[in-house]
Amino acid sequence: MKLIIGGTAQGKLVYVLQKYGLQENMVWDGSLPNEINDIERKRNPIIINHLHQWIKNCMISGGCPEDEIMSFLDCNEDCILICDEVGNGIVPIDPFEREYRERVGRILVQLAKRADEVERIICGIGQKIK
Amino acid sequence: MMVLVVGGSGSGKSSYAEEVAVSLAKESVGEIAMKKYYLATMQVFDEEGRDKVERHRNLRKGKGFFTIEQPTRISDALEKMGDGDSLALLECISNLTANEMFSEENAKTKMQVAENITQDIKMLKEQTNHLVVVSNNVFEDGNTYDETTTEYIHAMGMINQKLAALADQVVEVVAGIPVILKLPYRNSVLIKNRL
Repeated sequence: MKLIIGGTAQGKLVYVLQKYGLQENMVWDGSLPNEINDIERKRNPIIINHLHQWIKNCMISGGCPEDEIMSFLDCNEDCILICDEVGNGIVPIDPFEREYRERVGRILVQLAKRADEVERIICGIGQKIK
Repeated sequence: MMVLVVGGSGSGKSSYAEEVAVSLAKESVGEIAMKKYYLATMQVFDEEGRDKVERHRNLRKGKGFFTIEQPTRISDALEKMGDGDSLALLECISNLTANEMFSEENAKTKMQVAENITQDIKMLKEQTNHLVVVSNNVFEDGNTYDETTTEYIHAMGMINQKLAALADQVVEVVAGIPVILKLPYRNSVLIKNRL
């Protein structure tokens, strides 16, 4: 698994598509594929964009993003996860927003541990940090 | 040696800072001789605060830190430390700055707060063998805030810059991964020689 992180609008998706020669129609936007059929498996790697959005939706619907993403990875180790860094700001007054930022951060720590490679994208430039 | 550790919410900066503190204490004189102090700045007002303190206590468990609660005037912690070799882990500048700015009777300007905190930390640095300071990256959410919060952000920015200048090493923790921003002179020479 490769993990791509960075601030909003830093060119993370474009960076990934260019670097690995992939098409945008291969991208899962803010969602994890439940069942992956054979055709889609052949189009490896699976790319998940806006992972932070998926985490937020998962929290809203009462799910456990920490467990769900890990079991997804157990079945789909060869994938690229793209996620915004959302924790570099003022702690929000709203309790849900506060918990969301904290959980995105901690999920990224776990994903970074598991990843073969972690890149942080700033101004469209990839900085390999693992 | 002084190390400044910065990072966002949930970045893993605390657990990294603890690792650094423990290994610094071990390296210098053997674990038993050096006393390790944890300077806690958070004031607890509610359940969420209690949970946070509890989580951090569990992280530190068994690592041999002696906790000093010091929400303001951080250099006063020195009076509560014993004699001999010591290491202090200060967590964190964002709480300390908020406490100094907002909870004191006479509100201070960002300049005064930044100056006071920097002077206090300079004292801590001079009077301990090792100092590890944790601070937050509160600068990158792109939001516009009210005047008070804006003052706070600017105070934090000034303090981080001053502390980075004081520190021998500055590390940003990103998704639990340490990214080195400033190295001790000795190490930077070593790295340059290898390039």
